[in-house]
Amino acid sequence: MTTEENVVINGLHPAKLEAVIEGLKEKDNLEAFSGPWRSRVVWQDGFKAKAHTRTHTVELDEPDALDTQDTGASAHEHLLSALGSCIMVGFVLNATRRGVQINNLEIAVEGHFQNILKWAGLDDDGNPGYGGIDVKIYAQGDADEATLQEIFDLAVAGSPVAQTVTRATPVHAELEIVL
Amino acid sequence: MPTLFPVSTVGSWSRPPELVRALRRRQAGEISQQEFDTVADQAVLDALRLQEEAGVDEVTDGEQRRDNFYSFVVEKIEGMRLMTVSELLDYVPDRASFEETLRALDVPAFAIKSPVAIGKLRRKPTGLALNEVAFLQKHTSKPIKVPLPGPYLLTRSAWFEQLSKDAYPTQESCAEDVVRILHDEILALRDMGVATVQLDEPTLTQVVYGDESEETFMCAALGSRRDPSDEMDFALRLMEETVGDIEGIRLSMHVCRGNWSKKEEVLLEGNYGPLLPWLMRMPVDQLVLEMATPRAGEVDVFKEYGNDKDLGLGVVNPRTDEVEDPATIVARTKEFLRFYDASKITLNPDCGFGTFAERSVATPEVAGAKLKAIVTAAQQLRTDFAHTQKGSTQ
Repeated sequence: MTTEENVVINGLHPAKLEAVIEGLKEKDNLEAFSGPWRSRVVWQDGFKAKAHTRTHTVELDEPDALDTQDTGASAHEHLLSALGSCIMVGFVLNATRRGVQINNLEIAVEGHFQNILKWAGLDDDGNPGYGGIDVKIYAQGDADEATLQEIFDLAVAGSPVAQTVTRATPVHAELEIVL
Repeated sequence: MPTLFPVSTVGSWSRPPELVRALRRRQAGEISQQEFDTVADQAVLDALRLQEEAGVDEVTDGEQRRDNFYSFVVEKIEGMRLMTVSELLDYVPDRASFEETLRALDVPAFAIKSPVAIGKLRRKPTGLALNEVAFLQKHTSKPIKVPLPGPYLLTRSAWFEQLSKDAYPTQESCAEDVVRILHDEILALRDMGVATVQLDEPTLTQVVYGDESEETFMCAALGSRRDPSDEMDFALRLMEETVGDIEGIRLSMHVCRGNWSKKEEVLLEGNYGPLLPWLMRMPVDQLVLEMATPRAGEVDVFKEYGNDKDLGLGVVNPRTDEVEDPATIVARTKEFLRFYDASKITLNPDCGFGTFAERSVATPEVAGAKLKAIVTAAQQLRTDFAHTQKGSTQ
């Protein structure tokens, strides 16, 4: 028997999602969702690292041109992936809340370093980071163009990662030397 | 059909949204073949009506039942599985070069689907396009053209080493069965009374004009690429084996530089010069070539090959919304008439109007208007060149 509780759209239960979103109005829930979100990055060897988050571990490395084995994506590539994935989550969330079935969804993300010489220590000035990031979403869903556009706009505006990147978020970095 | 400047198409027509939805639901197993056919039959009738209203002399079914011009065979041939490039990425060692290609083409990986050989390939008794023809014959008295994927295209897309090697250790061994399947299909279509079978080989331009990345795809033809000359020799050999002994039906071959995007800058570019030495040796009656797009290059490269084969001359660009002026089409055709007899030329669009079901490049209205422009131009050319026909007293 189909009840509102067991309806599934895009692999998600809209009723359950609505309950979670409604729950965010509660102070405790909001605080739990707000953070802190954490990652612990542990050096392995060469440029290799493991990043541990909650119950997950991701391996990172650099391209083999940098005298390493390219065993994992680079940190800056993970940033692109994180940006695309976060917008994707927002797209699916907003589509599901509107009852829109998504048939296919794909996001292409691309960035170019503005001045990688700064990273290499060959230049004192400039921005070694991405000068800009292009995100292109290919979406196919059972909705008209205006609805999909609205879903897309909400996904980008509501994406924690996209907004972190966009808003020049301050990074407080400190060093502790362990004896 | 008129003896001078008959008008034909390259095959595909845009699919109405309800047909795309039905296609997707049938592929997902949500509706039956019969339910799908009900929607597709109406779409075919609409596509046929628009071709006939425009005055086209040789018609197709608009490829309305097909996902695209070659992946549809997955349901017609045992041993094949339809896979998106997204799925194939799991098996590709060099994903960076694939990413380059996807970006150059401006397409999502989910939109490109390839029929991949995962077992021994065998043509099902229902054939590849026999049902399309049977339906069309009930509704038109005009000559019918059936586009089929060419043997080189089908071999390149079918043989994906990581998934095909158990059934076929080499691309060549896979090609033997592809050739046999197409050969048998063309004979069956001939026996049904089909006027023309057009074998589509768009990947040949990728061979000649594409970049140097080891793993490339165009229209999802996947697999390692060898030296262009070796690839062209291979394509020629496969065509000879497929149609070399077939008589009693007009055989044509279509080559283009891509039709997946309306952005001309992401499509391939180059004149036919490097291709013609091989194209002219293909055992087909007619070459169907795009010439409306400036990307197809100079006409003069045909000078030394004039009249060697019939020419299906592409005179309108299916990817532009602006409808070509018939006078421009007449002028373009006359450029070719420096090298070709009038009786050798058929007029057609550069490519299909809806090569990929989900990425049509022209609305039915624009497509119909473009076909009408071709027909108007053809009528003018018939008047201008009537004196060249046998028995003319002019």
